[in-house]
Parts: sequence; structure tokens; C-alpha cells
Amino acid sequence: MMRHIHALGRATLDIVSSIGRAGLFLIQSIVCLPSREGFHLWVRQMHFVGVMSGAIVLVSGLFIGMVLALQGFTILVGFGADEALGQMVVLSLVRELAPVVAALLFAGRAGSALTAEIGLMKATEQLTSMEMIGVDPLRRIVAPRLWAGFVSLPILTVMFAVVGIWGGYLVGVDWLGVYEGSYWSNMQDSVDFVDDVLNGMIKSLVFGLVVTWIAVFQGYDLIPTSEGISRATTRTVVYASLAVLGLDFVLTALMFGDLG
Amino acid sequence: MDDPIMVEVKDLHFSRGNTDIFRGVDLQIPLGKITAIMGPSGTGKTTLLKLIGGQLVPDRGQVLIDGQDVHQLSRRSLFKLRRRMGMLFQSGALFSDLDVFENVAFPLRVHTELPNAMVRDIVLMKLQAVGLRGARHLMPSELSGGMARRVALARAVALDPDLVLYDEPFVGQDPISMGVLVQLIKKVNQALGLTAVMVSHDIKETLSIADYVYIIADGKVMAHGTPQTLDVNDDAHVKQFVHGEPDGPVPFHYPAPDFFDDILAPAGQFS
Repeated sequence: MMRHIHALGRATLDIVSSIGRAGLFLIQSIVCLPSREGFHLWVRQMHFVGVMSGAIVLVSGLFIGMVLALQGFTILVGFGADEALGQMVVLSLVRELAPVVAALLFAGRAGSALTAEIGLMKATEQLTSMEMIGVDPLRRIVAPRLWAGFVSLPILTVMFAVVGIWGGYLVGVDWLGVYEGSYWSNMQDSVDFVDDVLNGMIKSLVFGLVVTWIAVFQGYDLIPTSEGISRATTRTVVYASLAVLGLDFVLTALMFGDLG
Repeated sequence: MDDPIMVEVKDLHFSRGNTDIFRGVDLQIPLGKITAIMGPSGTGKTTLLKLIGGQLVPDRGQVLIDGQDVHQLSRRSLFKLRRRMGMLFQSGALFSDLDVFENVAFPLRVHTELPNAMVRDIVLMKLQAVGLRGARHLMPSELSGGMARRVALARAVALDPDLVLYDEPFVGQDPISMGVLVQLIKKVNQALGLTAVMVSHDIKETLSIADYVYIIADGKVMAHGTPQTLDVNDDAHVKQFVHGEPDGPVPFHYPAPDFFDDILAPAGQFS
């Protein structure tokens, strides 16, 4: 019995200290003065974290939009409401699917790569040697990646939503024969900029920060062995995905909980 | 030792988990000399270097560099102090996304405002000194172990530091690379008037270039002196280590139950 209590206490202490370290880590890396050098490093990371994730996000967005239209149509047509397909596609995408699915894809593609990259730098003593040269790796390695993730995920989310809406159009209008005018006009009437678009963007900003934070912290904090890197990479994807889904519920409750 | 002291380690205690690594280590590193810290594997020599560089914090004791207590400095002041230090890592620790030239230029670019032409001249001079000017466009993955360590040496001295820390510089080198590195470290040290701390267990090479040697074992300084005095030291630990005897106070066998009992243990009692 005492052993279990001991183990529970130890696990709790580990979790609390890990959260504390992660919090300090975030503050130390994100609070820094902008510099020309920092800007160049950020641009390079925008390419690696953002641009390189573009293809997977676009393809996924297209398919999700197409599936959404197909499923939506089969349900709506039963009520004779297939005219409302545009509204269903756009609200599902802008409010939920674009921020969440883009963040999950981002965690899998960019998050795991960031963890592995920083972890390998740690294992090969590159971070230590940078510290010994008198350069803070939090500023030089971590900060540009954090900012790149924070900025690029909302952009990827917009791309996801736009391509998704187009995918919905291809299936709904071109294939299933929904009237084009009602697809677009229902969409236009039902979307509110603040309630839908802005809230979706806020979600993706939060997800961008959380996913990148988890990824860089896991890389920076891992045990520098091959097993340590593999575990940390897995942890990044699992923690980031769970954090995105959990936070999505909290944010949705806050944003849309009193609309009904 | 009458030379002025650059680094002073006082009553250093450090432990990892329940294992004591150091139990009261005192060292004095003289200015402008090569001081070697030697000892069997696993005695914490690299840990000592990390404590001197401020990467680890001791449980007790002090590390003073030029009179400044390394572990009392703020993060900013510590990074400022480190600009006066160079460190050669066991693995080289070159930045894998930069080529040889940019690796050596890195400290110059981040710590000085020198124009590009001057950075280029300094980098080429440093690379020329380690014989790798022609390899400046290669990436770290294209270098052999010995070349990587030479590039790392050029990077460690790029800012003409006051203090250079060498972590096992000769490990895993073929005889030619080893000879080249020994000569290079000696020449670079003499030419730049550096203070060097070298952690190593390669006895012959280290004793050939060190001015002063500390031998560490069991968490303490076991002996210290010039290479000549250590060579004739009568202490059993020192003799075993300096003359490379396989068995002695440091046993060949890791602690284990009796060999005979172990072999004849009945099935089901195997551990």
C-alpha cells in the first residue's frame, strides 16, 4: 500500500516538475528581442515547419471537404435540404475540422520532426557546444521554431479550409448536382466573421503554440540516446494530439457554449 | 605551483542520484599552461569539465574562473564568461546544418561585428592552422572523426579564448590523427598562450604535452604533479594507472558473487 502511495507521489512530483520546467522553458524562449539574425532563422524555420507541411495539409483538406460533402448530401437530401450543403461544409470546416485536423497533421509532420531534430542536436552535443560558445540555444534553436509553428499553423488552417470548401464544391455541385448558387449563397449567409472565422483562427493560434511547445520541449528535455529520441518523438505526437482534442472541447465550449 | 591561477576548484562535491561522483575535489589550473585531468573511465572527468564550464551545478563547493564563481553567475553573465572559453568536445559537436567554414565562423558571427572579409580571413587562418583550409566547403557528415575534431579545435580557438577545455581529444583516433592532434594542441596552445584543461586517459599522449597533471579516482584527487614526478610515484593507484597495469587497486572484475558458486548454481536460481 505504502509503495503505491509512494509511486503515486513520485509520479505527481515528476508531472508537476515537468510542467514547471516546460513553463519556464516557454517563457525563456519566447521572450526575446527581435533581431535581424533571429528573423533569418525564423524564415528558415517557416519554410521547414510551414511550407513543407503545405502539401499534406492541402491534400487532406481536399479529401475531407469531399467526404464532408458526400456524407452531408446523403443526410440532407433525406430532409429535402440539400441546398444547405454549402452551409454545412463551411461551418464544419471553419469552426472545427480545419483547425483540429490541420493541427493533428501538423503535430504528426512538423512536431515529430522538430522533436527528433532538437533531440539529435542534444545527443550529438550540438546544444551543449552552442552553450559553451556563449549562445543560448533557447534563443537560437528553440525560439525561431516556436514562432514559426505559432505563425504557420493558422496559415495552414486557412489553406485547409479553402481547399476543403473547394473539395465540397467539386463533390456537391459538380458531381451530386446541388445548385451552385445555393451552395455559395447559403455559405455566405451563414458564416459570421467573428463567431466562425475569428474563433476558428483563435483555435488554430492556440493549437499552433501548444503543439510546437510540446514538440520543442520534448526534444530539448529528452534523454539523449536513440531510445530517448524515439520515445520523445512518440510522446510529442500523442501529447500534442490529446492536447489539441482536449483544448478544442474547452475552446468550443467557451466560444459556442452560449450560442444555442 | 607558483604560476598565477586561472581556474580554481574548491572542495567540489557532486552526485548523480545516489552515486557520489566527487567528494571534495580541489584543483588549481595555472595560467598559460596545459593541465591534464586524468583517471580511469567512469571517474567523472567529463563531468568535472562540465562543472568548470558551468553546465552542471555542484552540490557543494566552488569553481572560480579568474576569481568569478561560475555557479553564482546569472545566465547572462555565464554566457558572457563562456565567450572567453573554448571547448573541444569528444564528438566534435559540429553543427550539422553548417559547413566547415560556417562552423568555424559561428563564434565570430555571433560575438563580433567584424565585416565578412575579416571573418573570412580569420576562419581561413584557423583552418590553415589545423590543415583543413581545403575542406572548408565540406559538411560535417563528410568528415572523418579526426578531421571533425580538428575543425572543432579551429572553432574552439576561433575567438582566441583565454581558456580551452579539451574533453578526451584523443579518443578513437588512428595513430596518424592522434599524432596530428597532439602536435596541434601543443602548437596552438603555445602560439596563442592559452590556458588549457585537458581531460584524458591516453597516458602517453597526454603526459607528452601536459605541464601539470591531476589524477582523479574515487571522487577525489589521488595525486598531482608534473609528468616526471608522477612517472616515479610509488602510490599503488598511481602506478597502476600511469603504467596501465590491468589489475591492482582498481580491480579488473566488476563486483560479482563467487565465480565457482555462480557457475554451479542450480537451475531456477539463475540471476
